[in-house]
Amino acid sequence: MKLKPDSKVLIQGMTASLWSPYIARMQAYGTQIVAAVSPGQTTSIDDLPVFDLVEQAVAAVGAIDTTIIFVPPYQALDAALEAIASGIKQIIIISAGVPPLDMVRLLRKAEANETIILGPNSPGIIIPGKLLLGTHASEFYTPGSIGLVSRSTTLTYEIALELTKAGLGQSIAVSIGSDAIIGSSFLQWLQILDEDDTTEAIVLVGEPGGNSEEAAARYIAEAIDKPVIAYIAGCHAPAGKHWGHTGTLAAVVGRGDNVGTAKSKLEAFQAAKVPVAERPSQIAELVKKALKKK
Amino acid sequence: MDLLEYQAKEWFREIGIPVLPSQRIDRPRDLKGLKIPYPVVLKSQVRTGGRGKAGGVKIVTNTIDAIAAAQTIFNLPILGEFPEVLLAEAKYNSDREFYLAIVIDAVARRPLLLGSTQGGVDVESNPEALQQVVVEREFSPFYARRLAVKMGLQGDALGSVSAIVEKMYGLFVQKDLDLIEINPLGVSSTGELMALDGKVTVNDQAIARHPDILMMAEKKASRPNGYPSVAQVGKWNEVDKSGNIAILGNGAGLLMATLDLIAAASHRKPSVCLNVGHGRIGANGGLNFCDRVTQGLELIAQDKSIHAILVNILCSVPTTVEVAEAIATFVQQHDNKTHKTRSHAQYPKLVVRLAGTDLADAKAKLDAVQVSSMEDLDEAIAQVVRVAKSSLPRRSE
Repeated sequence: MKLKPDSKVLIQGMTASLWSPYIARMQAYGTQIVAAVSPGQTTSIDDLPVFDLVEQAVAAVGAIDTTIIFVPPYQALDAALEAIASGIKQIIIISAGVPPLDMVRLLRKAEANETIILGPNSPGIIIPGKLLLGTHASEFYTPGSIGLVSRSTTLTYEIALELTKAGLGQSIAVSIGSDAIIGSSFLQWLQILDEDDTTEAIVLVGEPGGNSEEAAARYIAEAIDKPVIAYIAGCHAPAGKHWGHTGTLAAVVGRGDNVGTAKSKLEAFQAAKVPVAERPSQIAELVKKALKKK
Repeated sequence: MDLLEYQAKEWFREIGIPVLPSQRIDRPRDLKGLKIPYPVVLKSQVRTGGRGKAGGVKIVTNTIDAIAAAQTIFNLPILGEFPEVLLAEAKYNSDREFYLAIVIDAVARRPLLLGSTQGGVDVESNPEALQQVVVEREFSPFYARRLAVKMGLQGDALGSVSAIVEKMYGLFVQKDLDLIEINPLGVSSTGELMALDGKVTVNDQAIARHPDILMMAEKKASRPNGYPSVAQVGKWNEVDKSGNIAILGNGAGLLMATLDLIAAASHRKPSVCLNVGHGRIGANGGLNFCDRVTQGLELIAQDKSIHAILVNILCSVPTTVEVAEAIATFVQQHDNKTHKTRSHAQYPKLVVRLAGTDLADAKAKLDAVQVSSMEDLDEAIAQVVRVAKSSLPRRSE
């Protein structure tokens, strides 16, 4: 993943006035937004050139590193395919509620083209003090050395706030998204954070549904050298209810009832010897302890 | 959204998956005009499983028995759900029963074909007989044949079963399904196949792009027990009816974390969790974020068993000040009402946890209406648990 402050960023789906505050925030954070694509609206908005097609944007401003997709959910597949066709290798989908079969199609294409997809239903990536790719509320973050990877948006803010209050800044924070089928996984981000020089410890935030936390726990035990602290929300949530997150397509017929519960995730982290915080405010304490041991 | 069996079978019939002759029964007297020869199976059309064991499936041999059985089934709730219609279906003698399903595997992020030659009620007790094939690339019928071979099928059965899987896959993609299941797939002594029961779950996120499914969903939503107004405000989740605290928050993960903290602090789960969504998720039925907060509080306040509400919002767009104003609006509206009726405790006690910029201004707005607010989550949890414990039961109006 190329996450340099000078990398070129495209916005797809500029029209909705709803998104413009987020674009202004990204620019204020120093993100190099070079163009936007909004078919039929070809004017420039506050000096930002707007095009009908991604290929026109690329022709005008040169190769683009990352595109951030804000289009309505049923148009997300098409927008992402258009980005891939124009050679963009990093795609962040902010839109929520992209149908799973659209994601299946998109991920097949992305894998074949070695394109990384973050999201959908993700606030994107923030490198506190340096780069904002998406809708993260930057006020909850401070620059530092703790990597944060999560599945939910506001809970990521909560953890960042707790870390900040305890004097622990963050190196990179990312929410991988909370739709049923998402692109990049915990595994990919653990690897990115493990290789990132600024990151000294990693906090992984999970929730019931799916089995990505279980897979992450095994991966941590095998491949991650930096200390990892986990936190799982929803231990007391009634089974099968996920409060609006759809990352829970655990209609995993034939895989047993115990897949994807908070309990199975906690057990996986215990087996991997990953310390698990009982509440958000305990995370900082566990991180400090783990860093001391190192 | 789960379809009822008769709706699933209508789709099966349209695409050529064999189903028995059947008729939809809206009221017992419809059985007088039955066109299927007896014996006939009457099946309760509810979305829950275990109908047979609960008494929701009966075999009848004449009109009089059929009407009596239909009356019984219409009045039989299965896991709390009464059927609106029954399905009358020809009886079928199967020699063996298979299981077929297609789901999306959230791990492989690909459709997964599932099949077992030990179908019917036995499918769950024989997980090792359940074969799986991941559809890695574009679907082609060989994936269906691969499943049939793994199931141990040979000869004609190999071709006929894979043909059904192929049709199921077509429906799966065409209608944006989360699940399509045929269980049991009856196999007669002559090798003829018949979908004896079907389960279809449409992906909720995709419903709006299928006009036919949207119509079914709207019909379902207009039933008296639906909550159309709640749908505009957010996701309403009942957790524990014996609880007396409600949580209103933004974001599913944050709500789950808050729920855990309350359960740990009070040894009692909250009654209700209402997720009003993110600020960035726009027009949720046309309401903006602050309106969703005010109306969400209004909805929770209608439940007299709730003594305290914890509002837990981390905000950026809109700002904490705007959210504080929305909460203050709710309080003022209720205080006016309370003053007029001269009764107390018309709405639950409020504890507000806000985090974001301009907190001092937000706090001042809430102080003005005597609502305590704080930034620290643990402190907010302790306070709401204390408030809920000390508050008297709310008087009815």
